[in-house]
Amino acid sequence: MLEAFVFITIFSGFFGIIFKKNLVMKIISMDIMSTGVVAYYVLIASRDGLFTPIASSANDVVYSDPVPQAVILTAIVIGFSIQALMLVGVMKLAKDNPTLETSEIEKNNTP
Amino acid sequence: MTNFTIAWLALPLFIGFVIYLVPKLDRFLALGITLLSAAYAVQVFLEDSPLKIQLLDSFGVNLAIDQLSGFFILTNALVTTAVILYCWQSGRTAFFYMQAIMLHGSVNATFICEDFISLYVALEVISVAAFLLITYPRTDRSIWVGLRYLFVSNTAMLFYLVGAILVYKAHHSFNFAGLRGSPPEAIALIFLGLLAKGGIFVSGLWLPLTHSESESPVSAMLSGVVVKAAVFPLVRCALMLEEIDPIVRFFGVSTALLGVGYAIFEKDTKRTLAFSTISQLGFVLAAPVVGGFYALTHGLVKSALFLISGILPSRDFEELRNLAIAKNIMVVLVVASLSISGFPLLSGFSSKVLTMKNLEPWQVIPINIAALGTVITFAKFIFLPHKKPLETSLDKNHKKISSGFWWAMTILLSGLILANAFYYEAYTYFNLIKPLATIAIGWLGYLLILKKLSITLPRKMETFDHLIGIMSLMLILVFWILQV
Repeated sequence: MLEAFVFITIFSGFFGIIFKKNLVMKIISMDIMSTGVVAYYVLIASRDGLFTPIASSANDVVYSDPVPQAVILTAIVIGFSIQALMLVGVMKLAKDNPTLETSEIEKNNTP
Repeated sequence: MTNFTIAWLALPLFIGFVIYLVPKLDRFLALGITLLSAAYAVQVFLEDSPLKIQLLDSFGVNLAIDQLSGFFILTNALVTTAVILYCWQSGRTAFFYMQAIMLHGSVNATFICEDFISLYVALEVISVAAFLLITYPRTDRSIWVGLRYLFVSNTAMLFYLVGAILVYKAHHSFNFAGLRGSPPEAIALIFLGLLAKGGIFVSGLWLPLTHSESESPVSAMLSGVVVKAAVFPLVRCALMLEEIDPIVRFFGVSTALLGVGYAIFEKDTKRTLAFSTISQLGFVLAAPVVGGFYALTHGLVKSALFLISGILPSRDFEELRNLAIAKNIMVVLVVASLSISGFPLLSGFSSKVLTMKNLEPWQVIPINIAALGTVITFAKFIFLPHKKPLETSLDKNHKKISSGFWWAMTILLSGLILANAFYYEAYTYFNLIKPLATIAIGWLGYLLILKKLSITLPRKMETFDHLIGIMSLMLILVFWILQV
């Protein structure tokens, strides 16, 4: 059930990238897609248990898998920095193309 | 060796920041790093057994260095050295050298890592560094091209991440070997990411625009080494798991044909070179066992060609036919084009012979057609008119050529000749006849038929929306191949 929701998130992000006309909207769609991917990692990590794997007084509980969470942290940071970079690029483009219509930008900048 | 490897892996990224702190030393530091990489590659060749390193813990980073990595690292070192020498007098800022050397470092990282997450990190660092290099001129067009590149590669890498976690779910490890026994979805998603990132088959159609619209030294780096960063893991997986091998070979053949089909009809020099990159990557994948040597040859020759195309007075073949090119440029251009067509005495010949030897029976005919197509494509370069250098002084179209260009050419072209030594067994009578016949047929075909044709292929497939949309179709295609 949860898995289905995660995949719906990923695919709505993916189709947003294709169907949204505005460049900023496309970037936001990509963010949604990456949110879906992050959620999937968290979901896989919690297959065996829900407790955070940190030293605590509670014993005999099932811990969640720390590896996917540690890994996805890297991916979050990378995704976030790429989005920042893209938005800077869009800001530069916005000076000449106020609407940020992708098809227009593409027409003007393709030889 | 382990400590040396780790130092060599981390140093480019560290030196990258040092360059920004000490801008005066930028070129020297960058050159030092590339020379270190070359030394490391030689060291790898001298080592007999493959080196396996496991960092941290059982969930940590896996590195594997063998001869295959050695070829790719050597390519990277030589191409980056040539690019830095080419830019030596161009007055670029420290920022350019910093990004170039970071790109160099992260590309090296992909050639030795053996698990999906290190690969992901390295590929994303490549995206960022390549984006910054593409947008270095800060024009609207370069920013749009860069954004498009970042969009396509990041979307592909998101699919890849889903595939990586599916492998982890099956095996509790991110190691490449985990592809065996993973669900087909995992393999399909990972392949989609790598195919799109490496510019393979239809999902690689982002590549022509990106590579042709960046500046010549940047395109030389992108075509020479960066695309190979995503091709290398495919080759590695194909060598490790025999059930992946036919899929990789299939994509190799179809890419070789697709790229060459576009390249023959292209009217623009840099776009021709970019399409030819797609087709040559297909050759690398068609015979994974010897892919390393082919990648070395292709990296050297393609970066040389891109650097030369930056010196040529125009990008349009029609105009070039009327302008005539200085004789000394023409010589390097012809040598590079002959190598990629597979002419004996240059390593393009021995790598082609080696690839042909390692093909499966069903691959032989399409790969030979692709080789013929390559000859026809590069006949466009070989049969351009030339003139004596003296006459060019009156021509205002000619930019002054810096000595850095000649240094870069010396490195790349002598590399092409020296690499022959790796497979000198190729020089038998039978092996010599076939490439020469191919070249003769190709040139005849070009002069008699293709020169007069003027067909322009549509560029509809290269629009942004189609590039993203095609990913979903590719996903279905790979999944379908896996099921059959």
